[in-house]
Amino acid sequence: MDKNMELLQGTLDMLILKAVSLGPLHGYGVLLRIQQISKERLEIQQGSLYPALYRLEHQGWIASEWGESENKRKAKYYRLTAAGKRRLLAETEKWNRMANLIAGILSTKPEEV
Amino acid sequence: MWSQLRSWARGLTGRTAIESDMDAELRFHIEARAEDLLREHGGPGLTRDEALRQARLEFGAVDKAKEECRESRGVGTIESFVQDLKYGARVLRKNPGFTAVAVMTLALGIGANTAIFSLVDGILLRPLPFPQTEKLVDVTGTYPKGAFVAMRERVTSIEPAAYAEGHEFNLTGHSDPKRLTGTLVSAEFFSVLGAKPALGSTFLAGQDHAGQDNFVVLSDSLWQRRFGSDPSIIGHPISLEGVNRTVVGVMPADFRFPSAKTEVWIPLRNDPSDTHSYWAGDFLNIFGRLREGQTLPRARTEIRMFQAHVGELFPWPMPQSWNANISVVPLATGLVSDVRGRLVLLLGAVGLILLIACVNVANLALSRAATREKEIAVRTAMGAGRTRLVRQLLTESVLLAGIGGIVGVLLATEGLQILKIALPPDTPRLAEAHIDWRVMLFTGALAIVTGFLFGLAPALHASRTAIAESLGSASRGAAKSVSQALRGALATTEIALAVLLVIAAGLLIRSFWTVSHANLGFRVATTATARITPNEEFCSDAQRCISFYRELVQRIESHPGVNGAALINTLPLDGRIAKRSLEIEGHPPDSSAPLPLVWLNVVTPEYFSVMSMPISSGRTFSAQDETSAPVAVMSAATAHRLWPAADAVGHHFRFSGEQEWRTVVGVVPDTRAYSFSQNAPDLFDGVIYIPFTTKATMEQGGIPSDMTLTIDTRLDDRQVQEILRTTVAQLNPEVPASDVRSMTRVVADSVATPASTAWLFVAFAGVALLLGVIGIYGVLSFLVAKRTREIGIRMALGAQKRDVLWMVMREGLKYALIGISVGLVFALLATRLLASELYGVSPVDPLTFAFAAIVMGMVTMAACYIPTRRAMKTDPLIALRHE
Repeated sequence: MDKNMELLQGTLDMLILKAVSLGPLHGYGVLLRIQQISKERLEIQQGSLYPALYRLEHQGWIASEWGESENKRKAKYYRLTAAGKRRLLAETEKWNRMANLIAGILSTKPEEV
Repeated sequence: MWSQLRSWARGLTGRTAIESDMDAELRFHIEARAEDLLREHGGPGLTRDEALRQARLEFGAVDKAKEECRESRGVGTIESFVQDLKYGARVLRKNPGFTAVAVMTLALGIGANTAIFSLVDGILLRPLPFPQTEKLVDVTGTYPKGAFVAMRERVTSIEPAAYAEGHEFNLTGHSDPKRLTGTLVSAEFFSVLGAKPALGSTFLAGQDHAGQDNFVVLSDSLWQRRFGSDPSIIGHPISLEGVNRTVVGVMPADFRFPSAKTEVWIPLRNDPSDTHSYWAGDFLNIFGRLREGQTLPRARTEIRMFQAHVGELFPWPMPQSWNANISVVPLATGLVSDVRGRLVLLLGAVGLILLIACVNVANLALSRAATREKEIAVRTAMGAGRTRLVRQLLTESVLLAGIGGIVGVLLATEGLQILKIALPPDTPRLAEAHIDWRVMLFTGALAIVTGFLFGLAPALHASRTAIAESLGSASRGAAKSVSQALRGALATTEIALAVLLVIAAGLLIRSFWTVSHANLGFRVATTATARITPNEEFCSDAQRCISFYRELVQRIESHPGVNGAALINTLPLDGRIAKRSLEIEGHPPDSSAPLPLVWLNVVTPEYFSVMSMPISSGRTFSAQDETSAPVAVMSAATAHRLWPAADAVGHHFRFSGEQEWRTVVGVVPDTRAYSFSQNAPDLFDGVIYIPFTTKATMEQGGIPSDMTLTIDTRLDDRQVQEILRTTVAQLNPEVPASDVRSMTRVVADSVATPASTAWLFVAFAGVALLLGVIGIYGVLSFLVAKRTREIGIRMALGAQKRDVLWMVMREGLKYALIGISVGLVFALLATRLLASELYGVSPVDPLTFAFAAIVMGMVTMAACYIPTRRAMKTDPLIALRHE
């Protein structure tokens, strides 16, 4: 398998929600966290990260506040809101169902039809 | 939802704070990334600056990300609109030439529309200035007093009121005598309208009965001019036509019903014992107010029922055709039914102008878009999406249209004043037209629509090119065919629309010229006219009245510079008519057929010579006719109609109600006394002249007391006025001499309406031509500029100036020919809308069509001249070095 996989359309929001659900992060942190969890196998366009963050914040699933980074610099931290938690659960469940379904279809053998 | 609103509100209020937050956040990201890069690959190979550079590269287009952030926060639209507006303003400021031409073009288009719309709004759309105006209705058709009184008593669905315009009264007893224009009204006239006086009261029920009618209500302007705004005038009598009438009230300045001409309102005099006046005198206009719970259809039904039976009340049979298609319509509609068509025409014409203006600016913008290709390419590279670009370009267009709109409103304010002067003063509700918030709203909406209209095509086009072209290759090589085709199509449209307007103007002018140059049958040049109007009471003594007039004519004739003077009761083309029915000797009246009806002209013997009217057969009048048996002269058509088999001279007739027979002593040719095409109105059987003697009795009994003096003189109106003032005052200081006008003026006034329409269309066509020229010029100039290199190559390869000339002219000719053809086809279909405004010229008059085509062709050729000359002067060496 290729080391870097392109992100599936529409999945970035879900990954961001997951990333910040593990603890407040700044934008760059979100990027690192996703890459870390995915073991560097996911390629994320840095430019598309921030519009997604702004969109999620606008929808009320994450909230932001300014704080201090590890190296004592001012950074904007995002955390999951209650609504975001519900959203993440719903999205995860939906994704799992869909993934199972698709996997089932793709693994179908001729004699099973 | 709440968080969205909050984020939105925050976006609106703290825009700058959010912008700097966003900057800080992204900067942090890039710097953090750079530090990580340094940590991972740090060492002599990677400096801090290089690390930052690499971080930025990894991140991608920062501006694009920011733009997307703004959009995902939801305030992007408003924010970017403000940004676009600022950017647009900057772009427009940097291109003063383009901006000025575009703004002026749009201002002309929007201004013309605003001015005409303010007329349409004031005259057609705005409700009448009366309470519960929706309940006011107009009864089409006219009724004599007796029939109106019957209607008032019988009809239950509406409360009717009646009026008759155009009566005149001598106001005497204060300084110079003055002729006033008055409207006779029924007692409930003001109360039905719901109009309140500014001072005093209006008429009470019953004040229109004979003997209880000596009252008057004054207009504000008369009260100011004549009575110095003296409030104590209320309750005091003034002398009108020798009758003392008590002033009961003064109306406010904005009360102009039925028209602004009315200076006094005087009660009808309903007197059943005066059969003539009661059943055949004034035919009154009727309007009314729907009673509680009644509707317009019910009123219509009831009035039609009433009409079916009212004929029985008349002392004589009424023709079936009288008021046959009576109806009841909203009053606002009924009042302006005559001008509606014309206003809609004008609106259509200015609509076309705006369309041309839009096409023109679209063309300009397209040409400019070509020069902006690089700018747009840069913006695309910086991350602007196509919608974003289109939005930006449209914002610019709307901004341009907005500025055009503001200048347009200024133009319209001036234009409306000119329009008010150009339009005939008896246009109903003309004074009510003004530019207010309603009109401004219209203009605003118009500007936005206009902006989209001319902005959309260039914007879509520009954004498409931007994507297709890369930064480097823009603008090199041959002209882009798509944009050239689009520009060509726009220019063609412009020509077609201009042709349409030129044809409309041409037809109207031709029609106007035809009517105003028709041989009227009487002399117009060097004829002065004036109304000399003693009180009716003064003329009840016929001998006294005639002596006064005779003495006056003699004194006027004795003035140096006066070649002759005569009197007539109803001057040609002045709108006044005297009707009289008659009985022909040997044809006893038949009760089933109405008697012949004629227009009765009472004249002094010199009238025919003063007006240069020849005699066809027999003789005109002489001094002997004053004492001999009564005589008459008639027009040729009348003579033929009444005595089809023989020469009328020597035959006899008598007017209804008279005993003595009149002898026809002469026949004169027909003139165009009623209109430019008719000697008498449709219903009439002819025109008869009788000498001004004690036997010259009118329908109502007495001799006419309001004669018009016609003078053959080269003196101007002012000199005539001065002579008249002194002469009349010496003879009788109570008699006003009013309405001093040259016959030329009388004729011009009678065609004021077609003339004003024609001139307005000429102005519109002129503007359309001008815009069309700018359009063609723009397209060809651009073409030449774009093809300089090509022309250079051609010339280097041996093309002659002639070939270059042909190359450019061919392009211009192509647009001109297609545009003119399309315009002619449009015109064939559209000019029938003008038919009602045309006299003596067909809506598809080939001469006018040919003329318009030639004018347009010449104008387009002229527009081609400068670009063509520039192309011919192309120096191959310079052209090839170009870029």
